[in-house]
Amino acid sequence: MFSSLNITSSALTAQRLRMDVISSNVANVDSTRAKYVNGNWVPYRRKMVVLETKGDQFSNLLNKAMNKGTVPSGVKVSRIVEDETPYKLVYNPDHPDANEDGYVQMPNVDPLKEMVDLINATRSYEANVTVFNASKSMLVKALDIGK
Amino acid sequence: MAINPISLNVGRVTEANHTAVTPDKAQKTFANFLKDAINQVNDMQIQSDHLTQKMALGENVELHDVMIASQKASIALQATMEVRNKVVEAYQEIMRMQV
Repeated sequence: MFSSLNITSSALTAQRLRMDVISSNVANVDSTRAKYVNGNWVPYRRKMVVLETKGDQFSNLLNKAMNKGTVPSGVKVSRIVEDETPYKLVYNPDHPDANEDGYVQMPNVDPLKEMVDLINATRSYEANVTVFNASKSMLVKALDIGK
Repeated sequence: MAINPISLNVGRVTEANHTAVTPDKAQKTFANFLKDAINQVNDMQIQSDHLTQKMALGENVELHDVMIASQKASIALQATMEVRNKVVEAYQEIMRMQV
């Protein structure tokens, strides 16, 4: 009875996690020391979520094999990956992490991209809340049958 | 990869299972069914309470999970009320019967 609500719930959780990742990116836009690798500080790398259809993968495959069609399933964040684009080089000889030439490696976070992602996540969340409300009002309407 | 159908040689269900159901037995099964259904509704209420409490205590719970649990509990309770109303209605209808 509540499968649509459960699916919406999974989507909301996924979008929340996406929001967490975006906030981490925005917060670390200037972090030059994220990891300590071989005696050197490495700047923060932009992170992204990978969304994946949730559900019993096996039962879905079995249903497909039996030509029964897949059962609807939610969404989940399968992993959080790092953006492999090169770091930005900024000339700032006073910076403690500057190299011999005076350049500092800055995180590959682009605030513009993050803002777009932020709007995307917010709107997705809103869309899922709308689905939830529609689904709920459908159930409440069903209770009116025969009144 | 092709999956071969598995042939199951399950014997036919014997007709012996279809013994006459006594009214007493039928009443018991219905009572159990009703009890299970009401327990499920109760579980939803408990789940909602639990999540709300966790939220109030500042534990790491998603706000939407709390809201969704409470909405689920509310809908389940409303459905239960509808069933109860129908049952009471039917009972009253029977009690009004002329004898």
